[in-house]
Amino acid sequence: MAIAVFFFASWLVCVAFAVMQKKLSLVENTFVYLIILIVSINFLWIIIEEFKLITLTKNGVDYTAYILNRSVIIPMLIIMQLNLIQKSNSVAKSAVIVIATVAIMLGLSVLSTQFNITTNIKWNFGYDVIYFLTLHLIGYYVFKTFRKIAYREVKNT
Amino acid sequence: MMLYENFDKNEIYILSMLIIAYGAFFLFPKKLPRDVTSMFLVWGFAYSTFFDFTIGGGLLDFYKVNDSNKYELFDLLTYFPFATFSYFFIYFYERLKIDKKKFLFYVIGWTIIGLVMERISIWMEVIHYQNGYKQYYSLIVFLVVQTVTGLYYELIKRQHKY
Repeated sequence: MAIAVFFFASWLVCVAFAVMQKKLSLVENTFVYLIILIVSINFLWIIIEEFKLITLTKNGVDYTAYILNRSVIIPMLIIMQLNLIQKSNSVAKSAVIVIATVAIMLGLSVLSTQFNITTNIKWNFGYDVIYFLTLHLIGYYVFKTFRKIAYREVKNT
Repeated sequence: MMLYENFDKNEIYILSMLIIAYGAFFLFPKKLPRDVTSMFLVWGFAYSTFFDFTIGGGLLDFYKVNDSNKYELFDLLTYFPFATFSYFFIYFYERLKIDKKKFLFYVIGWTIIGLVMERISIWMEVIHYQNGYKQYYSLIVFLVVQTVTGLYYELIKRQHKY
């Protein structure tokens, strides 16, 4: 069941992203996606494998659902909200977008525990919220820095 | 996270690779736009991280990187040369004017380079296969990654119009 749910969620975010009106270029979207992927993989590895704050399923099919959440759903949601934020013209609207994406990520974390993909040992959903908000911040500043550096024009002296 | 377990030939090899790879990156004349360069540097880092933490660790745990299964700082440094490999894949793709006819040979060429580099990494004790992993499994990884990289670059080039 878990694999069907997470595969559907992965498919949904990919298709939604493909059809949405984008404010970031392909290169910008890819760059932010990859940075979030790197951060997400490293962070989850450290808290799961090194600090054992969460335990992970030993079932191969359920493990695939975890990989989909870590490597597809979370980075895709970050770039989707980034595109939506760039389109929104008010702080309130941006805040609603961030709250909505954090809520979706949190919902998937709850589902992960319900399906026994993950078991929180010394971890709780509050930490998840902090982690997801941090990913949003990283995504935003990576994008801003990338735009500043990548498209900086060489000044003539 | 520890720095390293023992400072021996695998750490020396990683440091040498870093110097050679980034030395070449800074010495070669720049041919690609800055945003595309940055993206493909991150691309290489990301795919190596993805495969190491997905098939090299976790449930499959097909290989150990460096001296232990614990996360060492030198494990992280191992991914930095991959950033330049992905950049040079695109760099020479552009310089050698790879088209539809040459694409297949270009990917096979880089796959052979990848397999040779992996063999050297085994000799240098950077990679240690376990749980029944065989080097020919890596052929699948290299072919998929390099084909996707080339096709993705074509997509970017079409949108970038340079």
